[in-house]
Amino acid sequence: MSDLPDPELIETDVAIIGTGGAGLMCALHIAEHSPACDVTLVSKGIVGKSGCTRMVQGGFNAVLNPRDSIEDHFADTLAGGYWLNDQELAWTLVNDAPKVVNELETRVGCFFDRAPDGAIHQKAFAGQTFDRTVHRGDLTGLEIMGRLRDQMFRIGVRELEDVRALDLVIDDNGVAGLSALDIRSGQPILIAARVVVMATGGAATMYRLATPAREKTGDGIAMCYRAGLELRDMEMLQFHPTGLLVGESRLTGALLEEGLRGSGALLLNALGERFMTRYDPERMERSTRDVVSRGSYLEIVEGRGTPDGGVFIDISSVLSADEIRRRFPGMVDRTRRLGQDLSLGPVEVSPVAHFQMGGVVIDVDCHTSLPGLLVAGEDSGGVHGANRLGGNGVAESTVFGARAGDTAARLVTERARGRPSPGAAQQSFARAFRPLGTDAGEHPMALTRELKDLMWQQAGVVRNRANLSAALDALDDLSARTARTRAPGPPEMNPTWQEALDLENQVVAARCLVASALVREESRGAHFRADFPDRDDRRWLRSIRIKADADGRPEIHTVPVDLSRLAPTGIEDHPANAVDTRMPDQTESPGHSGRADEGGSTT
Amino acid sequence: MAGGGKSRHARLRVRSVGPEPSASVGHAGHNAGPTETVTVLVRRSATSNEDRFVIRRQPRMKVLDLLVAIQRDHDPSLAFRYSCRVAMCGTCALRMDGTAGLACQTAVPDHLREVHLAPLAGLPVLRDLVVDVAPFFARWAAVTPYLVPHPGATAPARVRPDSPERQVIDPALDCITCGICYSACSVSEDGRDFLGPAALNRAMVLIADSRDASRSERLARIGNLDGVDRCHYIGGCTSCCPKDLDPFGAIRQLRRWRLTGIQGIPTP
Ligand SMILES: Cc1cc2nc3c(=O)[nH]c(=O)nc-3n(C[C@H](O)[C@H](O)[C@H](O)COP(=O)(O)OP(=O)(O)OC[C@H]3O[C@@H](n4cnc5c(N)ncnc54)[C@H](O)[C@@H]3O)c2cc1C
Ligand code: SF4
Ligand code: SF4
Ligand code: FES
Repeated sequence: MSDLPDPELIETDVAIIGTGGAGLMCALHIAEHSPACDVTLVSKGIVGKSGCTRMVQGGFNAVLNPRDSIEDHFADTLAGGYWLNDQELAWTLVNDAPKVVNELETRVGCFFDRAPDGAIHQKAFAGQTFDRTVHRGDLTGLEIMGRLRDQMFRIGVRELEDVRALDLVIDDNGVAGLSALDIRSGQPILIAARVVVMATGGAATMYRLATPAREKTGDGIAMCYRAGLELRDMEMLQFHPTGLLVGESRLTGALLEEGLRGSGALLLNALGERFMTRYDPERMERSTRDVVSRGSYLEIVEGRGTPDGGVFIDISSVLSADEIRRRFPGMVDRTRRLGQDLSLGPVEVSPVAHFQMGGVVIDVDCHTSLPGLLVAGEDSGGVHGANRLGGNGVAESTVFGARAGDTAARLVTERARGRPSPGAAQQSFARAFRPLGTDAGEHPMALTRELKDLMWQQAGVVRNRANLSAALDALDDLSARTARTRAPGPPEMNPTWQEALDLENQVVAARCLVASALVREESRGAHFRADFPDRDDRRWLRSIRIKADADGRPEIHTVPVDLSRLAPTGIEDHPANAVDTRMPDQTESPGHSGRADEGGSTT
Repeated sequence: MAGGGKSRHARLRVRSVGPEPSASVGHAGHNAGPTETVTVLVRRSATSNEDRFVIRRQPRMKVLDLLVAIQRDHDPSLAFRYSCRVAMCGTCALRMDGTAGLACQTAVPDHLREVHLAPLAGLPVLRDLVVDVAPFFARWAAVTPYLVPHPGATAPARVRPDSPERQVIDPALDCITCGICYSACSVSEDGRDFLGPAALNRAMVLIADSRDASRSERLARIGNLDGVDRCHYIGGCTSCCPKDLDPFGAIRQLRRWRLTGIQGIPTP
């Protein structure tokens, strides 16, 4: 790689990778604590206009009503997560969520919908014992990200737009910075920092049918994995049951919101049967995301789906057209523009990959095992366990983004700025620039399609050992081929090149997912094994951890869940305290993780 | 396409005359079922010419699908932007047959034979259909787009949903900063010093918000030379907003407030 251009060097105090809810809250909190701190936002897409926080429709869970309680939100989150959650992280989430809503309203400038009396309105969401979801119509994420983006104009941070982070750069002192690529110019950048915050939003796009924004290709997961960090619960990938099917169109996967099922919508197979009678006769369509997704999936693979591989959601036989239009204007509009009409008849849907529960192991202050590296938002694991409740995702990204900012502001005073030698990033740049120079090799876009089909068929909603093993072999093969892709054309704004880089990271995340899924021989939450269809608390109240060994091969072990805050009934003999699940620097006893204990007083 | 949705998404008009795409065999005229192919002419930055692609039609196709198909099957170097594909990020905006709109929300009508695609007007082209949105956001930033809270505000304000301020703000709130109105505004496009429709709409929202402590500064700001008086009052912005906002109405509102003061909305 002798003809590799010399990287531009940027020196900063904190480099934040990703400008979704986690990234921008982090920047904001750093500015609150230390306005002089030099902050650099690294954003693969347009700042504040890429990622999934912007796409949040439903809302944000927070305890605001005196009749609700932090304890109830906590219990709902653990029950929803099938008890796989890191309880300290979940406890922190529910405690901080009301403070963050307050901050968003009073400092950031968001305005959420009001009840007739002028107080913040909270709506019902699946899996919760109290109506605690704060929202702005069905465009909640737009309000949050729009206003956070506005705040960036106030605090004035360095914005590297259309710049993709490639790899973490490490020295003896921990993280020293990162290597990056300016997508517009095709030039390499080396960023030296005291602290790096990873907030790239996970990897849920590696399936043929998926909801997230296109930038989210597991870059953060892959960067952390390559840097030797431990990932947890990577097998836990949530499928949302009602993504729209629009044939070959890129709009396939656009969501129909959960409120439809909450309001009595029916799910029907191609024979017109209400198939949920087979999977959850009691709760029927109102059952949880994992159960409904599985039901739909089984109908489809067993030949009772539509020719395009879907099922139908029908609210038109339950509510009048006027009522549907009044209550779900956004959803009616969305289906109409796709040539259907929710208010007049059934609409074709399918389960779609939606959210990654697993991710990098962190503590309540977003520390990782690598000094100076913080991780927040969907890139981190543990908050949601085996299944995320609707409304806890944007809460997570803003709560932990804010905490990462608090921690970073503290760390910059303690840590020297890294001095990454150009040599340290040499390997990263060489790997990134490789596809550009070659004429031979496969086209990355074709390989991406192969990956997404493979994941959908072999590692999707319903899994078994044979399929997962086959998928792992196929991923080995794909991994070798992704190292031989080609990206013809110039370095400037070269979409094929960017796709090649996306693909490499997606394959890394996919291998972690499949390897973990193979180990978990039970069914829990989003992870369903047809060969082990039951939940097995005696053996599997354990989190699966995966990291790269010295040769980059996955190394797996399991860690029992610490149930000391709350335990599910009936598993008293669980080996809860055998191994500690938390970070080395705060292992003494549960429940003293700093600010998480301050309680949830609200206004 | 089934119409009737309430949003004013760009509609591509089907021309009944015009060259027949060579690959479209046996499907002429309006009543003969959808055309099999669509000819897409895309403005390219390397040559400043249009490149011509003949794309096989898929059912329920959007303009975004045309672009994806070109990139996948014909020319992988074609540069265009998109992120969310559900009208929330605002990054897929471009001009289709001259009209600015969102690629992800604009349907390819059944009988469309040909469409011209070009980047948004008034913004520097980075490559092909990708523009630099910095000038748009520079104007946005110029209106102090963030809330200036009252020092004492520590709890969410009590604001009734039927209050006069919310009647003004709510329909103007969901701007996705797509720049479509900016592209459609001849005053902005000229590169003249004008805050433009989206930024002024944002200013209007903040001026009406009783939680904001900077009302009089804001009113003064939008009265500057680059402010509301630059507007030509034709309303091109409003007629193309993909979120059904009314920036032209916001500008009229601001002018009224400047002339007569703000009535009916509680002062902060
Ligand atoms: C359609 C949809 C609807 C949802 N609805 C809800 C809901 O109603 N309630 C809820 O609680 N949750 C919801 N979620 C989940 C929620 O969006 C996520 O939990 C959360 O927003 C993730 O935030 P984040 O900050 O971690 O990542 P994101 O907001 O996704 O941001 C990721 C950022 O990283 C950047 N990035 C990626 N790779 C790189 C790289 N290599 N270099 C530099 N930058 C990079 C991207 O450009 C982007 O800016 C929804 C998700 C989707 C997809
Ligand atoms: S009404 Fe004013 S702001 Fe709107 S397009 Fe015309 S000149 Fe521009
Ligand atoms: S006002 Fe409408 S057209 Fe203009 S930027 Fe906002 S959403 Fe786009
Ligand atoms: S892709 Fe986000 S608005 Fe079109």
